[in-house]
This record gives sequence, structure tokens and C-alpha cells, in this order.
Amino acid sequence: MTSPAGAQEGQEGREGAGARAHGAASLAVEDLVAGYGEVRALNSVTIMASGASITAVLGANGAGKTTLLRAISGMVRPRSGRILLDGADRAGRSPEDMARAGVAHVPEGQGVIAELTVEENLRLGTMSWPGVARRRSDRGAALAEAYERFGVLADRRRKLAATLSGGERQMLVIARALIARPRVLLLDEPSLGLAPRIMTQVMDMVVRLSRESGITVVLVEQNARAALAIADHGVVLNLGRVVAAADASTLAADVALRHHYLGF
Amino acid sequence: MVEFLQFTLSGISFGMIYAAIALSLVLIWRGTRLLNFAQGGMAMFTTYIAIEVIYHTGSYWAGFVCALAAGVVLGTVAQLVVIRPAQGKPELNAVIITIGLLVLLEGLAGIFYGGQFRSFPAAFSVTGLHVGSTALGVSRFDVFVAAAVLATTLLLAVGFRYTSAGLRMRAAAFNATVARLSGIRVARVITVGWALAGLLGALAGVLVSPSTFLYPNSMDTIFVFGFTAAVIGGLDSPLGAVIGGLLLGVALSYAGGYLGSQVTALVALGILVVVLMIRPGGIFSGAQVRRV
Repeated sequence: MTSPAGAQEGQEGREGAGARAHGAASLAVEDLVAGYGEVRALNSVTIMASGASITAVLGANGAGKTTLLRAISGMVRPRSGRILLDGADRAGRSPEDMARAGVAHVPEGQGVIAELTVEENLRLGTMSWPGVARRRSDRGAALAEAYERFGVLADRRRKLAATLSGGERQMLVIARALIARPRVLLLDEPSLGLAPRIMTQVMDMVVRLSRESGITVVLVEQNARAALAIADHGVVLNLGRVVAAADASTLAADVALRHHYLGF
Repeated sequence: MVEFLQFTLSGISFGMIYAAIALSLVLIWRGTRLLNFAQGGMAMFTTYIAIEVIYHTGSYWAGFVCALAAGVVLGTVAQLVVIRPAQGKPELNAVIITIGLLVLLEGLAGIFYGGQFRSFPAAFSVTGLHVGSTALGVSRFDVFVAAAVLATTLLLAVGFRYTSAGLRMRAAAFNATVARLSGIRVARVITVGWALAGLLGALAGVLVSPSTFLYPNSMDTIFVFGFTAAVIGGLDSPLGAVIGGLLLGVALSYAGGYLGSQVTALVALGILVVVLMIRPGGIFSGAQVRRV
């Protein structure tokens, strides 16, 4: 690997004059309370993520991991608490607004629109770009870059997304999220239902994306071992509360915590 | 043989009108799973506006354009004012609101224009065309009807397929969640769908009215046939709506021509029942690819 400075240079060169909105963001969730009807899925949750880092959100089924992502991306309206994106409180904004503010949310297992072609799915990534003038000049370049990075998608650009395999769909969703040029990427179970080898590829890709593009990644995973292996920080949720937050290596080394909450 | 040709051609001409109504229903259904029962009423109302404009300006085309514009405005206003507040409530609420809108529009038309039948002018000659000495059973105006609907449909199809706005509409229709997460303002897309549906309905209204007269309930039957065409096509598929409209138009033309015009409504019902028995999703319902 190159030095951080070198990576920075390479990034600039590849992107050219494009209006790349990537860059270190800071995401802070403070005292967030959210739920569905009578159920309180999140209870005073506070997490921080910033810069080119990966934060793994771990926990058992029903711990509130998915709800946390849905609250950040605006799909669930929080009852109280703050969601700060670069210091500005955006709690309660619509998903459209959050997407335009630079938050890309890849929901679990349903991110592609099967009735659209691969290319059309990718073009959805440009919908959150600001301004109309930029889209036309930049769209082709963004698609070309995605095809270069994900060769398997280039071969199938005119095919319906329904014809893709599970792993290819996951690549498509991640490629689309990247075209949106997010500053914060929320990934919900990207490895779900994938063969181990494909899962490794997807995880590697997540690491590369975070390092190369400086995206702040929040990763929700059932597979705690795999998630902690690539993450910088980890947050463990249990029944809607944060029970542990530390460096990923610290969490992975904490045997009691692993046994108790993470099952490995 | 000549009779058969005549029935086929006039069936296609009427079928295009059913297709326009069917397409307008599909545009709204795809976005919100809502059947707009006021579609016929809206078309009737915009046709009255056309008649007024034609009366005051003496220009058919001024009336034609005003009707289409009124359709866009009426569709937009209806969605924003009465449909949007019902979103997120039980689905039946919005359905009943569209029925209320239908009653309201028909009532207003009755108050403003009275219940009498009014004739509506045609853009072109309605005398039958001939090839040599053989009557084709269609007029220049019938050709215009078919061409107008076909052109509008193709324009919509190209717009849906090749423009960003079209992609936004399709994405919102197929998967509103992913569309919103991509930054697409789905609520706005749905309003645009209603505007386009209003335009298509208005087009159908001015095209059919020379053959049916105009009165507050004049579009009711056309709406039912358009609805039948949409169901034949699968309610989800714009292409299905057009083909469903054509099939229904031709079938009803044969039924009316060979069996007598009193059976057409019965035949339409029969076709609907048969299609729903054999393919409940409609002939052109896409394979269920949404769930993975």
C-alpha cells in the first residue's frame, strides 16, 4: 500500500475535475430514541463515526441495528435525540433529503430494483447529485468508473438486474451507492446470503472504498467476526441500548463480551 | 370480408381511446396502487372546458390544447389537494376520495352546463374513407384519433425509457423505498404521474366525444371499458394497457357489428371474467421478480 499522502494523490488524479463530494464526514448520533408503535427499538443510543473509518454495529437479532441505520437515513423518524452530520442536526429529515445530504443507505437484501437494467440501477446513484448541469457532464464518467471497478457489471449493463446473482446484486448496490458520492455509507448486512468467498470479496471492497474515497462507513453485520476484522471501531447494541463501544481490536479481544453478545 | 375490415378498423379507432384511458389508470396505479375512479369524470370536465374554448374562440385546436392543459392542471390539483392528504391512511380512503371526486365533477358539470347532450366537433371530416369504391368504415377523424393516441403513447414510452425523469418515475413505481434512498422525491413523481394521467384522460375525452355526445355522465361507459382494458393488460404495464385497449376495442367492434350493439357491454364483462380466470394478473403482467 502507498502512504496516506500517496493515496490521496492517486484519488485526486483518478477523479479529475469531477465534482466529487466524497471526503471525511463526521456522523454523530446522540441520545437517539426510535421505534415502531409501542415498541422502542432504540433507547438513548449514542454513536460517533468520522473520517475514512469503518464502524461496525453488532448485536443479536432485535438489538436495533437496522433501526439505527433506518433512523440515520430518514426512513424511521426518531422520537427524540439528534443526528448530526458535520455538526448540523438532521434528525427527522426525509430519506430524499438525507440522500442529497450525502448519506447513502444500502438496505438489507433489497437494494436493487430488479425490473430495471443494471445501468439504470447505477443511474439511480446520480439522482441525489446536486444541480442539473453537473449530471450530464459527469454521469458518463461516473458510470465508466463504476464499470471499471466492477467489471462483472460492465458485461451485463443492458441486462435486467433480476438476472444477477446474489453477489452481483450486492456489487451493483454498492456500486450505485458509490456513484451517489456519499460521505456516509450505511451498509445493512452486505454479506447476507452470500457464499463465503463472495462475502470476503464484498468485505474487501468495503475496506477499499473507505480507504480510497474517504467515506465514513457504518456497517451492520450478523457476522461479528468478519465485521470486526475489517472495522476500525465497533459498537455493540443489545435490546436497543449501546452496551459496548471501542476499537474493533479491543472488542474482538474481549472474550466475555464476545461470548455474551456476539456469539463467537 | 369488407365488413370484417370495417369492424376491425373502427375497433382499432375506439380501442385507442380505451387505451388512452387504460394508460392513464396504469400511470396512477403503478405509483400508488390506487385506482382513480374519477379519471372518466376528469376527462368529461376537461372536454366541457374544450367546448367552451371552441365556442368562444371558434378554433378547434385552441380547445384541444386547452383541454390537455386543463387535464394536466386538474390531475395535479386533484393529487395535491385531495389524494396526498390520504396517503399513509388505509388504502380504501383514497379509493373513496376518487369516487367522491367523480361525483363532485359530474355534479359541477351538471350545475354549470346542464344535463343535456351536447355535440362536440371533430377535428377532421367524419365521413367514411374509401379505397376505390370500397368503404373502409373509418373516417379521417378516426385516423386522427388513432394517430394522436399512438403518438402520445410513443412519446410517453420514449420519455419513460430514455430520460432521467422517466427513470425516476419507473424507479418510484417499482420500488419506492430504494427510489427515496437514492434521493428521488417520490411524492413529486406521483404528482407528475397524476398530471400525465390527467393529460391522457383529457385527450381521450376530446377524441371520443364527437362519437358519443357530451353530458355529465358521458365518460362513464368509456371509463369502464378503459378500466377493462387496463385489467386485461395487467394494470402494471403501460404496453399492456395499450394492447388491452386495442384488443377490447376490436372485440367490442366485432360484437357490436355481428351480434348487435346491445351486447357490447356484456361482451366486455365476459372478456374481463375470462382474462381474470385464466391470468388473474392480466395478460401482460410481468413475472414476479420483485422479491428475492
